[in-house]
Amino acid sequence: MNDDILVVKLGGGAGFNMQAACDDLARIAQRRPLIVVHGVSDMANRLTQERGLEVRMITSPSGHTSRYTDEQTRDIYVEAAELVNQQIVSFLQAANVTAVGLVNDETVIHGKRKTAIRAVINGRVRMIRDDYSGSISGVDTARLNRLLNDNVVPILPPIALSEADGLLNVDGDRASAAIASAVSAGTLIILTNVRGLYRNFPDEHTFVSQISHNQIDEAMTWAQGRMKRKVVGTREALEGGVRQVILADGRVQNPVQRALDGEGTVFTS
Amino acid sequence: MTTPICPECDAEVSIPQDAMENELISCPDCGSELEIISLNPVELELAPETEEDWGE
Repeated sequence: MNDDILVVKLGGGAGFNMQAACDDLARIAQRRPLIVVHGVSDMANRLTQERGLEVRMITSPSGHTSRYTDEQTRDIYVEAAELVNQQIVSFLQAANVTAVGLVNDETVIHGKRKTAIRAVINGRVRMIRDDYSGSISGVDTARLNRLLNDNVVPILPPIALSEADGLLNVDGDRASAAIASAVSAGTLIILTNVRGLYRNFPDEHTFVSQISHNQIDEAMTWAQGRMKRKVVGTREALEGGVRQVILADGRVQNPVQRALDGEGTVFTS
Repeated sequence: MTTPICPECDAEVSIPQDAMENELISCPDCGSELEIISLNPVELELAPETEEDWGE
């Protein structure tokens, strides 16, 4: 493990403070190897609506919600990813950090498309076959390590490349876990629009500050909505050899440093 | 209308009146998960195995 490597997942939701996160990342990039994975959901929603289309979400039988990504939506999603990616690269370059966006065919994430998925629609389960989401099948670790060795910060959207099906929408939290595992990172920070994990959200008295890997099944039962994916990603990162995963608030100033200082929910292996 | 048959066990399977194409139902006899491939005429196939692994 290279304990020094830090992977940070930036949220893609509407309330996320991208400028504050990038200011913080720019300072941290001066002293340790850094990889950034970012969400795109708010930008993808805005572009979809600008085109006069409806943002469609689907729910799996076990309750995970996901963007319904038909071919047209996939193209909008890719465009949104490019825009957010360029914004982060620009913020970091303005702060004298050498950052490179690994978008589209440049992505280092390999994926496999799900040709058939189950979705609950109006209370009934149906098969969907025109969705361009997928699972992560591999990471080009050598390329990431070369960039890190050259003191470059790779910036990655949650997009994977499938040889058979082109670009795929993949979950950003799980992508960050796959990246952190692939480069043997010591720490993965997942920034989001809440403080971290609660036993009973949003009761502040039930906030969880520390949790060990053997309690993660219990943590899955506490997680609600999107937080479930983050706990799934956390589990995958810890099982992939990452020493600690921190779920923390991305709406504050210095969100990355505050997470490193112990704010948020710290999961340890 | 001919009652559709489960492709796994040949049992008769009743279809909800408001059934949708690609909807999943269970065979009442063998419990197999079946997909309604078409509605007119009704055709059933065994539902494909899928893992839950979705995008953003």
